[in-house]
Formats: sequence, C-alpha cells, structure tokens
Amino acid sequence: MIRYVQQVEALVRKDLLLELRTWDRLSAMGAFAVLVAVLFHYAVDRTLIHPRELAAGLIWLTIVFGGILGLGRTFALEEEDGAIQGILTSPVPKDAVFLAKVTGNFVLLGLLVLLILFVFGLFFQVGLGGNPFALFGVLSLGVLGFTALGTLYSGVTVRSRMGETLLPVLVFPLLVPMVVFGVRGTSLLFAGVSGAEVEGSLRILGSFSLVALLAGAFLFRFVVED
Amino acid sequence: MSLKTIRWGAGIAGVLGVGLALLFHWQVFFWVPTEASMGIVQRIFYVHVPAAWVGFFAFFIVALCSAVYLWLGEERLDIAAVSAAEGGILFTTIVLISGPLWAKLAWGTWWTWEPRLTLTLLLWFIYVGYFLVRSSSENERTGRRLAAVVGIVGALNIPLIHMSVLWFRSLHPQPVVLRTDGPSLHPDMLVTLMTALASFTLVFLAIFLVRYGAERLERELRAHDSARESGKGVPV
Repeated sequence: MIRYVQQVEALVRKDLLLELRTWDRLSAMGAFAVLVAVLFHYAVDRTLIHPRELAAGLIWLTIVFGGILGLGRTFALEEEDGAIQGILTSPVPKDAVFLAKVTGNFVLLGLLVLLILFVFGLFFQVGLGGNPFALFGVLSLGVLGFTALGTLYSGVTVRSRMGETLLPVLVFPLLVPMVVFGVRGTSLLFAGVSGAEVEGSLRILGSFSLVALLAGAFLFRFVVED
Repeated sequence: MSLKTIRWGAGIAGVLGVGLALLFHWQVFFWVPTEASMGIVQRIFYVHVPAAWVGFFAFFIVALCSAVYLWLGEERLDIAAVSAAEGGILFTTIVLISGPLWAKLAWGTWWTWEPRLTLTLLLWFIYVGYFLVRSSSENERTGRRLAAVVGIVGALNIPLIHMSVLWFRSLHPQPVVLRTDGPSLHPDMLVTLMTALASFTLVFLAIFLVRYGAERLERELRAHDSARESGKGVPV
C-alpha cells in the first residue's frame, strides 16, 4: 500500500515538474479561460441580461472547454518521445499510472478553476457566494469526474489518427451529469443558499466522480497495453 | 457457429421479421383502436417504442460483448459487439426520427429537453464515438480494444445520465406497459405493440447475423492475404 502511494507520488511529481519546466498546458488553458471570458462579455447582451445571472453555466462551460484542451495533452509528450513505453514496462501497476495522471491533471484543472473564478470575479463581479467551502466541494467533485474521464479518453485519442479532435466527441456526451448538477449547485450557492441545500448535487457529483475513477482505474490497462 | 447456420438464421429471422412488419403496419393502420386523447398521431408509438427498446438492448449487447472481449480476448465477441452497435445506431436513429414527428403534433414542438429524448440523443453520440475510435486507431487490434473501453464506459454512464436529465422534469408520457400494476393500455394496442416489438427484434437479429457473418469473412480474408504476403503460407 505504502509502495503504491510512493509510486503514484513519484509519477505525479514527474508530471508536475515537467509542467513547471514548460508551463505548456497551464499557459494554454489559462489564456483560453481569460479569452473566453472576454468573448462572453461580447456574446451576452448586457441590456437584456447581466452575465452574473449566467455565471454558473458560463463558468462550467469554460472549465469544460479549457479543461479539454489540457486533458487532451495528457499523454502527448510521452507518446512523442516514446517515454510512455518506459513507464508501462516499469513494475508500476497500470491503475497507479492512471491515478497519478488523474492527480496531476486534477492539480492543473484546480489551478484553472481558481483562475476562472478570479477572472469572472474581475470581469463580471461574480462573488463566491455565502458558502465558499460548499462551492469548492461542488467544483472539485465535478472536476474530479471530468478529469478521470478526460484522462482515460486522452489515452484513447492519443493513439488515434484523429487525435485531440476526437476527445470532445467522446467525452461531452458523458459530461451531462456533471454539467447539470455542477451548474445547479453552483448557481444555488451563488444565490446564497446554505451548504445543506446543495447536498443532493454533491452526492450525485460524488457518485459521478467515483464511477469515473473506478472505471478509469480498471479499464486504463486495456487502453495502454499492446 | 458455422457460416451456413448464420446464413440460415439471418434468412429466417429476416423473413419472419419483415412478415411481422407488414402485419403490424396493417394493425397500426386498420385494426388498432385510436387513442382517445392524442388521436391518430399516437400510432407512431408502435414504431417508436419498440425501436427504442431494441436500440437500448443493442447497446446492452455492445457493452456486454466488449467487457467479455477485454476479459477473454476472443475476437468473435468483438465482431458481435460491432455488429450489435451497427444495429443499435439504426434503431436509435429510428427513435430519433419518429420521436420529433410525434412530438411536433402532440406537444407542438420538434424537440424538447425531455429526459428520454436527451438520453437517446446522447446514446446515439456515444455509438458514433465508438465507431470513430475503431476506425481512426493506428492499428486494428488497438482500435478494437479502445472501442470496447468506450462501449463499456458509455454504458456505465447511462444510469447517471438518465438520473440527471430526469431532474429536468419530464414531459414524456409515463410508461404504459412495464408497470408494477400491469399494462394500462387497451389489449389490442398491446397486441400491436408486441407484434411490432417481435418484428423489430427479428429484423435486428437478421441484421446482426448478416453483419456478423460478413465481418468474420472479411477478417478471415484479410488474415489470409497478409499471411500470404508475409510468405508464411496459407493458414489452415
């Protein structure tokens, strides 16, 4: 068990270090998030509706579109130089590789979410609502499931001729639970309800993430094996 | 299963299925009583509902065969999964065409964000993804494995998708057949529905068997060709 955690940790550290050296994915996702917020400003007619009223939905869409950019590159670097073979032939279990990739991606997407909240606060005066803990609960549970699905399917699309264009086609149909309950919980919290009222959303987001994580950890070996 | 059995099976299922299709169309147009509140348009129900059942059943076969294929690596299971997926696409397409036709007359709109409608649309896209992964993979073996993963994850997500779209309260008519207190529709309507269901199931079986046989032959032929090209002689 301890060994397993150490293996995951080593892989996570490697991925995060790679990201810190280049800032490839984070800068692309971050720039995307800010630019989308700018475009939203012009896409929404302020005389009819204030973007604040759509904030929960816009935030989740920005997470989905920005996140898919980063998730699509999960295996790109390793596939290009063949390093993935080294990881796969090492005695680390495949599920540990998957969980490490999910953890690394989750950290990146977490930073993306913080940036998005900041940008929406700055541009559209969206606050955190009365209950920031519940808000972070809703956001992180939803993003965890999204990350697990995106990581698994990024392993699928990296071996396809269509590459990253295929990723949204595969992942978006599966994101409906996350968007429905993520947006619902987030907009309730923006409206200032107490944490207890979003419990239902939290539960469904939790089971969504759990299913995605377990399915991914189990099926990942079939995605990478040859 | 030998190819001969497959051919006979497909032939019999096809003839029976088409025969029953003629019969249920006669029932729909001339025999079954008109539903009181919705009127004549309700007759689309006899195409729509069985197509949905068969389409969902096909997706269940895809997930099951994919899971066992990953477990045992038996190629015939992959052939079965892809054949069922093609049938599934066909029948969910029928659902997605017949649904809006009915909805336009009954609800006054082509499309609403109604749970079962949304679920069927998403299922259709999951199937499309299944075929895109299969056809765009760097080699065929990888494509089969990746498509199996997509088939399984898609099926695992169905209950969650269903639950979440249900939250957007339903306009869709409530079930009239699979209820705990027994079917609530007129016996003639039930007979018509069951004829249509039997017909669609047999047609699905026929399509499935034809595709299964063809796909198997194609793969045998390709294996034969590549064995000859590599100079290893013809496998027996």
